Amino acid sequence: MDINIIHNLATGFSAALSLQNLWFALVGCMLGTLIGVLPGIGPIPTIAMLLPVTFGLDPLSSLIMLAGIYYGAQYGGSTTSILVNMPGEASSIVTTLDGHPMAKQGRAGAALSVAALGSFFAGCVGTIFIAAFGPVLAGLAQEFNSPDYFSLMVLGLVMAVVLAHGSVVKAIGMVLIGLLLGLVGTDVNSGVTRYTFGISEIWDGIDFLPLVIGLFGIVEVIRNLEQHDEHRVPISTKIRDLWPSKKDFQQSWPAVLRGTALGSVLGILPGGGAVLASFASYTMEKKIAKDPSRFGKGAIEGVAGPESANNAAAQTSFIPLLTLGLPSNAIMAIMMGAMIIHGIQPGSAVMTKHPELFWGMVASMWIGNAMLVIINLPMVGIWVKLLAVPYRLLYPAILLFCVIGVYSTNNSSAQLALTAAFTVFGYILIRFECEPAPLVLGFVLGPIMEENLRRALVFSRGDPMIFIQRPISATLLVLTIALIILAVIPQIRRTRDVAFQE
Amino acid sequence: MARVRVKGPQDLGAAIVFIVIGIAGLVFGQDLAFGSSAKMGPGYFPTILSGLILALGTGLLIYSFIVDGPPIETVQVRPIALIVISILVFGYLLELLGLVVTAFLMTLVAAHARRKVNLRENIYLGIGLSVFSVLIFVRGLSQPLPVWWWAQ
Repeated sequence: MDINIIHNLATGFSAALSLQNLWFALVGCMLGTLIGVLPGIGPIPTIAMLLPVTFGLDPLSSLIMLAGIYYGAQYGGSTTSILVNMPGEASSIVTTLDGHPMAKQGRAGAALSVAALGSFFAGCVGTIFIAAFGPVLAGLAQEFNSPDYFSLMVLGLVMAVVLAHGSVVKAIGMVLIGLLLGLVGTDVNSGVTRYTFGISEIWDGIDFLPLVIGLFGIVEVIRNLEQHDEHRVPISTKIRDLWPSKKDFQQSWPAVLRGTALGSVLGILPGGGAVLASFASYTMEKKIAKDPSRFGKGAIEGVAGPESANNAAAQTSFIPLLTLGLPSNAIMAIMMGAMIIHGIQPGSAVMTKHPELFWGMVASMWIGNAMLVIINLPMVGIWVKLLAVPYRLLYPAILLFCVIGVYSTNNSSAQLALTAAFTVFGYILIRFECEPAPLVLGFVLGPIMEENLRRALVFSRGDPMIFIQRPISATLLVLTIALIILAVIPQIRRTRDVAFQE
Repeated sequence: MARVRVKGPQDLGAAIVFIVIGIAGLVFGQDLAFGSSAKMGPGYFPTILSGLILALGTGLLIYSFIVDGPPIETVQVRPIALIVISILVFGYLLELLGLVVTAFLMTLVAAHARRKVNLRENIYLGIGLSVFSVLIFVRGLSQPLPVWWWAQ
């Protein structure tokens, strides 16, 4: 078994170390850092926008690049949080709490390097996590049948809803609407078109890009425009000593370890991912600190823990997608879309049918993390300069790239009309405090869920008891019910809200 | 009779969205064959989903009259209107005018989503972005976009 992992990793590294793949890893990491630094554009629209560009690449190169954008954004987001008190990414919001006070005290260098080195450590552990647990979960998935897959998706969606912030009821509604939207187009089984209203462009289903770009990319621009212009004044202190002091080091390494462990676990859970991990880690650091009053005034643990946690989670959130075919958050849903476009059905078969793809991605994550330390630490000055670009010049560029990305999928104006429609829909949802992320999960899973439900019920001749009779499915459903019960117990909900308010 | 008052406007809004989508799903899906559990028709899963969405929306509707919630933030018409128009400008003019002109026009429209517009600055920005997008997407990434109006 151990020898297998080494052998597999060797396969992966030989695939990932090709000149072409190194190049795309670098491009992905650079782009990720860029969007991590710039507020107003997140990893979700960026990855979606670049999807059409990757159509021409081979699957491994494109996945390497898209993954690089995701974990690159976790690195870049910390830089602006620390230096400018402006999180470029949702997962770096907590980093502002102690990172920026540190910068004000002239310890910006220490904060930046702890964030980067903590992230690197977490990234390495996360990669090992995938290498070790991936095959185990994939082996388990081989035992899965249609009823089990259906129950797994129910569990995954419910978990995503419970762990997402905001109202659980609204999140369930979003998932259901997403599932319904996923069914638009021609039903593969009967050949009947559903909800197409005679529009030929959506006979093949609603395209992924207009939906994601509209709901996330463009709505985000509009939200930013509605707010007043913020002044972004970088901390003027020189970033002289990048290396943390011995005391900083001693205080931060246990936090890095805890953040990595917490992030790795939370990343695997559907609905988890980088944002939840960083918030949870900050709460934990504050709870176990001997002197919690230091937090908010420049406690280095408050930077080390969350930064490690968000990066660990960014890595391990690939596990359910690559082994079970279950995307755990909106970004993984986009990665799933990318894999399907390249003709790869995410799931346990990825590892057996495309081992070079699975292990190549795992290896590239380690390479990417090493690149990111270099991109972020010595080059930090360049990234901070980018913040001088005012938003009024930035947003037309973001918009233009978004629409070019959408148009490039199949060169049709109808896609842009659809994008405009989803922009308006997304704006309405935001006004009513409905988070669009669960909708995207539902959208991707809709057709797969329907197919597994159909197969399961054909097999049992219409008897729904099949979902309880099969042990795997029954276990998953029991877990689902337990989760729902936990979620509605007010005590649990209150702590969940507290974790997000910190 | 006690006055009925909306307590959670955001919840009410979400409830209306859910109810509208649920009803639309049922109405426009009524021609799809439902089939049976053992032989699911194309209407089976959509009907169940629409029903659930409708039920959830109804529950949320009642909830919004009972439990207090935050108010809906004011909608600013200008940003959303102009951004949506700029998307449509791009979508419907690209094939007529080509990327260079369309990117320029789109930038000008989008720039008006803000109140204080500096026309001269935006003309420069428009020219810059139009050149940049041709260099990156057409030359660099070889995306099949029409550059000028005479291209086709």
